[in-house]
Amino acid sequence: MKTNYLFPNCFKIYGWIILTPSLIVGALSLVFELEPTALEFEMPALFVDEFMGQNKLAGTVNNNILNEIVGVLIILSSIFVAFSKEKEEDEYILKIRLESLVWAVYVNYGILLISLLFIYDFSFLYVMIFNMFTVIIFFIIRFYWQLNKLKNES
Amino acid sequence: MKNTIKIERARHNLTQAQLAEKAKVSRQTINAMELGKYVPSTVLALRLACIFDIEVTKLFSLESKDW
Repeated sequence: MKTNYLFPNCFKIYGWIILTPSLIVGALSLVFELEPTALEFEMPALFVDEFMGQNKLAGTVNNNILNEIVGVLIILSSIFVAFSKEKEEDEYILKIRLESLVWAVYVNYGILLISLLFIYDFSFLYVMIFNMFTVIIFFIIRFYWQLNKLKNES
Repeated sequence: MKNTIKIERARHNLTQAQLAEKAKVSRQTINAMELGKYVPSTVLALRLACIFDIEVTKLFSLESKDW
């Protein structure tokens, strides 16, 4: 079956190679609040919230870019892992892909609803940070679990 | 939807892997269809009927629950 919205199969391995260390660095930087001084830069920003000052529409902010780098790497690599073709990509795999995507969205928003009702204040910021990546991570877990089940069944 | 893929496959002396190769799908897909877990697309149904050289209605038939 021809699909024009999936990456070639070779992107999958590159995705895993980038995703694994990015997740580890992301988790470590979150837990230990890593902010290496070598990564402090004046970055262009669309919105600038100045402390005790006026908010501006565009300008620059002094920012540690470790979390931006890790975020970009996690997003791109997880897209490669999730949406690269399987070696034998056929219509049944596409069905599993679609079901896994729907399942991931349901689970993600189920967890977000519970978090919205029971997690408050600064802790909710962590929920929002995790929520940037959880849909695709849940999709990857469910999709590969289903593929593995399929391979073991037959 | 019922199908007679397994019977036709045996009649043509084909393994699941051989049929999968001819139909350009994975062996797991053939297995899932034989077990009734997956209803194929019209294209794949027609392709299978073509491989077995029978009409598609001989290969696939509706059950009461399909109505």
